[in-house]
Amino acid sequence: MAARERALTPEAFGKFLRWLSQDDELAIQEYQSIRKKLVRYFIHKGCSDPDELFDATVDIVVGKIEACAECPSPLNYCYGVAKNVWRQNVRERKPIPLDKDIVSPEHSDPEIHEHELKCLEHCMEQLAPSDRDLIIRYHQFQGHDKIETRRLLADGFGGVNALRIRMCRIRKDLRICVVDCIRRSAN
Amino acid sequence: MQNSLPDRRVVRQYLLGELNEQKELESDLSEGVLNNDALSEMVESIEDEIIEEYLDGALDPADKDAAEKYFLQPPERKEKLRFARLLRHHFETKHSDFAEQRPDVLPVTHPVGSRGAHGAGSVAYWSSHFTAYWQVAALILLSVVSLTYISGVRKRQARLETELVRERERSESLATAPLLQPSAITLTLVSDRSRTTGTELPHIEINSSTQRIIVEIALPGVAPGPYDVRLESKGEKGPMWSAKLLPLVSLFGDSRLMFDVPAQSFESGVSSFVVSSSRPQGEWRKHYDFQARVTK
Repeated sequence: MAARERALTPEAFGKFLRWLSQDDELAIQEYQSIRKKLVRYFIHKGCSDPDELFDATVDIVVGKIEACAECPSPLNYCYGVAKNVWRQNVRERKPIPLDKDIVSPEHSDPEIHEHELKCLEHCMEQLAPSDRDLIIRYHQFQGHDKIETRRLLADGFGGVNALRIRMCRIRKDLRICVVDCIRRSAN
Repeated sequence: MQNSLPDRRVVRQYLLGELNEQKELESDLSEGVLNNDALSEMVESIEDEIIEEYLDGALDPADKDAAEKYFLQPPERKEKLRFARLLRHHFETKHSDFAEQRPDVLPVTHPVGSRGAHGAGSVAYWSSHFTAYWQVAALILLSVVSLTYISGVRKRQARLETELVRERERSESLATAPLLQPSAITLTLVSDRSRTTGTELPHIEINSSTQRIIVEIALPGVAPGPYDVRLESKGEKGPMWSAKLLPLVSLFGDSRLMFDVPAQSFESGVSSFVVSSSRPQGEWRKHYDFQARVTK
């Protein structure tokens, strides 16, 4: 998306919050919920700058608040605007080539890589024993053994989809823990 | 969309940007993800799946192209990819450690050359000069390797036995210190009923602060499982807890079951974990007895 002409000013942001709710706390909760969902929407649509596109969406909504004073669902209204923002983004989009570092297992700085691995070890220890056990088994083998182990694990979980969802949750917990560990040790 | 989840293949196409021309379907999915937490979680799990296939090199050329030019454009997905790669690297390193620490593939049957270039090279050198003696040289070499191997196994066994003794001492000291008992306690079961006659049963103390028991059962031999595990008490007709579990196989090839059970599943007195498995040679079943004292 081309550089936006307008930035979200404190006044505009305040106006947006008031539109969401007269109660400050509720307005902030609603804002965070809308932000999370629309940023995720832009991620699902393959956008390289989802946060910026969300800000662009709020900008547009703020400009139209008077026309939508009694809007029954702020989320749905914002989503309608976000779709248009995405369409415009698609027209202007140029894919950014993937940095080779991204697919490399190691950080270009060996010290950081070592630190990442230490944090990962630490976070593995923080997992519940059953989750740790599961992720180890899930990644334990290669080739046919891997397929067979995962099939057995899926049987125990009531299906492959249930296993995938469980693995997704464990990976997410681990990822959050590792990011937190790296951030804490950097401070 | 609220009640039923779409086909995973459709979600996959959506994530790879292959539905952008099918506006109605694409819009249904986008709105569904916005309002349905179950669908949102399913989408995340399919994201992980695409990343895994990308790292495996298992995506077809069109999907790989879509992954690079569309799916992997957001910074959050790039971060997910890097994390998946880190996780994989971690497990691969563990796996290769495992391979390095397992010289227990019998050297006698090992193909020449795969065990060590030096040994194979020596044989080739001698065979070029003394063709008649190369088999003798190979036999001597194999004998030396075998002796080294046996010595290594014995040392490892001795080390494991020492560790087992230390672990038992640690478990006993924990069991005799109820004031220090944490919310999770460990129950290690090594011998089944047929091997515990006349010996004292393993013992656990469960008090009001105990929330779960982490159970570890050493299994004789290695079998892939799964194993049916049931917690039974002599007074109860049915199991107090049950699960189907896969064993953990250690770097040294021994296998064990490790799981946790809520403390409220236990009763005072003698109870057993009944472990069974269906094997080609018939059903295998063992009773691991232990003594529990529950004080609430």
